[in-house]
Amino acid sequence: MAHCRQLITDDCEDLLARFQKTESVRFEVFAKIWREMKFSEMFYGSTEVLKGKTFSQQILTTAYRYFLPPYTFQIRVGGLYLLYGLYSSQLARPKVQIQVALKDWEEVKKFEKDAAQAQHFDATYILRKLFSQHAFYFAAMPRHLSKCQKKRNEKESVCEEFMERASRPQELVNNELLEELSNVHEHYERYRLSKTLVHPDLVPQIHQIVTDFTNWQFLVVSSTQPDHQGGVVSSLILLFSPQSSQRAELLAAIKSRSYGQAVEASKSRRHRQVEVHSQVPQRAPRKPSLKSRTDTILFKNVPRKKREFKW
Amino acid sequence: MATCGPQPERKNIPDYEYIDVNTKPFHIGAFRDLWLERLKPSDYSYKEEDEEAFEAEFANEFGLNAETVNDIKSICSFDALRCHPVDRDTTVVPPDSSLRTLRQRKRRQDYKANLKINTNRHELYAEELERLTVGRKPAGEENRIPEGEVIITINIYYPTIFERFKYVRPHATLLMTGSHTLANLRDAICCVSDLQVCGEFSNTPDIAPDFISKDHYKSSFFFLEGVFYNDMRFPECQAISSTTIEWAKSHNFPSYQQAKMEDTKFVDLTIKVGFPYLYCHQGDCEHLVIITDVRLSHKSDCQDKKLYPLLTHKHRVTTRRCTVCHIYIGRWLTTNDHFAPCDPCLFCDKCFRMLHYDKHGNKLGDFLAYPYVDPGAFN
Ligand SMILES: [Zn+2]
Ligand SMILES: [Zn+2]
Repeated sequence: MAHCRQLITDDCEDLLARFQKTESVRFEVFAKIWREMKFSEMFYGSTEVLKGKTFSQQILTTAYRYFLPPYTFQIRVGGLYLLYGLYSSQLARPKVQIQVALKDWEEVKKFEKDAAQAQHFDATYILRKLFSQHAFYFAAMPRHLSKCQKKRNEKESVCEEFMERASRPQELVNNELLEELSNVHEHYERYRLSKTLVHPDLVPQIHQIVTDFTNWQFLVVSSTQPDHQGGVVSSLILLFSPQSSQRAELLAAIKSRSYGQAVEASKSRRHRQVEVHSQVPQRAPRKPSLKSRTDTILFKNVPRKKREFKW
Repeated sequence: MATCGPQPERKNIPDYEYIDVNTKPFHIGAFRDLWLERLKPSDYSYKEEDEEAFEAEFANEFGLNAETVNDIKSICSFDALRCHPVDRDTTVVPPDSSLRTLRQRKRRQDYKANLKINTNRHELYAEELERLTVGRKPAGEENRIPEGEVIITINIYYPTIFERFKYVRPHATLLMTGSHTLANLRDAICCVSDLQVCGEFSNTPDIAPDFISKDHYKSSFFFLEGVFYNDMRFPECQAISSTTIEWAKSHNFPSYQQAKMEDTKFVDLTIKVGFPYLYCHQGDCEHLVIITDVRLSHKSDCQDKKLYPLLTHKHRVTTRRCTVCHIYIGRWLTTNDHFAPCDPCLFCDKCFRMLHYDKHGNKLGDFLAYPYVDPGAFN
């Protein structure tokens, strides 16, 4: 049983990794991968009623996890499509419902709102469709709990490749904050008497700390990913350089990238796959890091010579 | 998030105490209300939503015209996921799949085919249970489970009376609604020790059924979250948990509370999902009880109130059959019996009476007879 669950997880993650590589949130793109992998066959040959039901339950519970944080918006859209595909193609009758936990509800509603706001109508439509088909059990927990089923050493691991990299420090210490601090500092310098109120190096120091953190974060990743070197530091330095309007654009671009890039899609082509990044070179599978995404945006828009740190 | 202040309802949003094992305690009624607050009535309605109405609403909400909605509909249609023509045989595992799950299923099926194992009886029995109840509609509206009711799934484990039960944990699974009481649960639990008849009845075999333990020893209790819920419905019931409570008091244990089973509805309970609780009856027959799931009722549930508590799973125990006919389940155990091929010997009711009594019911010969209840009697 435990072994079977692992195989289900592997198959689902294969599908989602292929979806991730496309950097799209379009259902058409997902459906193409689904068909290529013949994912509907997942339920074939599981004929006995009880086994078929248990299997449906297992695979829906597995897919449900990708529909929730800590996974990126794009993976969560993939998770939603996966739930839709599995729910619709299961052979169990009556259909096994997707069990949604009360504690996850807020995230589901937030996802629905984000998708609608970004005009991802395919994702919104599919989520709504599942609701109208009564595809969910509104439950306490995402699955049944009975101690006897718990095997030793059986722990669900989180797929790191599908996660958003931590960006709280960068978000917290943003440009406005730095500018504000430096303003305050200047004011203070002008009027100060004998003692210093703020450490004179405060602003550069905070900046340094965040840069260090980013460096460290990059090193941690690159140690598991030897094919990526350099780049990210300079791109982040660029973020902090005072080219305000340009920086604001870059920040916005990066944020929208994390939302699966298709925010940029105009209304008229919103159902078609957005191919903004066809020039992105083929990367090693499963690791489109922040670095590569940042690189593509930054270096496309900014002449190389501007890439030095000018605080 | 830190600015949101105290949120008293937070504690009734179930969350793990131990991941994948059990939740922290929460109030079932409050949990239900939290869901109902968050949902539209149509979300948990039993009615099928009209497709056109759904599309119209979608168009309206996002300010889309009918054409656009149609486009979205066709793009998102399930047909986009179809891998094969509709008439494809789905009972066979495809031989050349790239999916790991399927490759393993294929290996397992090939292996089973070699062993020539037929669908086992558990499977068939499960199908039987399922067929009887799925989507059952009640005869009258007053017997319908209301929309938005809570459905509680409960596993009741057999006492570990057999050596082999140490390895498999046979249990029965029941569905209850929030308006059921613990006494309803108690009545739904079938255990052979309730049917046991104690005594020797070779002279008066007809009165043996009057001595069923259930009717004699009616006391029982559930122990959930520090409270003993006693069955006090009958005058002869005793609060058999009192002994334990007194003992705990005299040994400086934290004090336990008592309540009546028949007055306690599930909606009023605060419980942990996944946590093992206790049911004790016949003095010392102890069962683990685990609430494995709590959720709102769904349109695919059996909606006939009368069929609840609803049995959805039952472990089948192998039965011992009559030594003479090998057809019927044993009902009598005899000793010192010169008619019998062995001592003790098991008979079904028919063979027992044919062999041991004459036409007028007079006992023939000398023997001792004890009523026997097979653990598989409820299969
Ligand atoms: Zn018992
Ligand atoms: Zn017989």
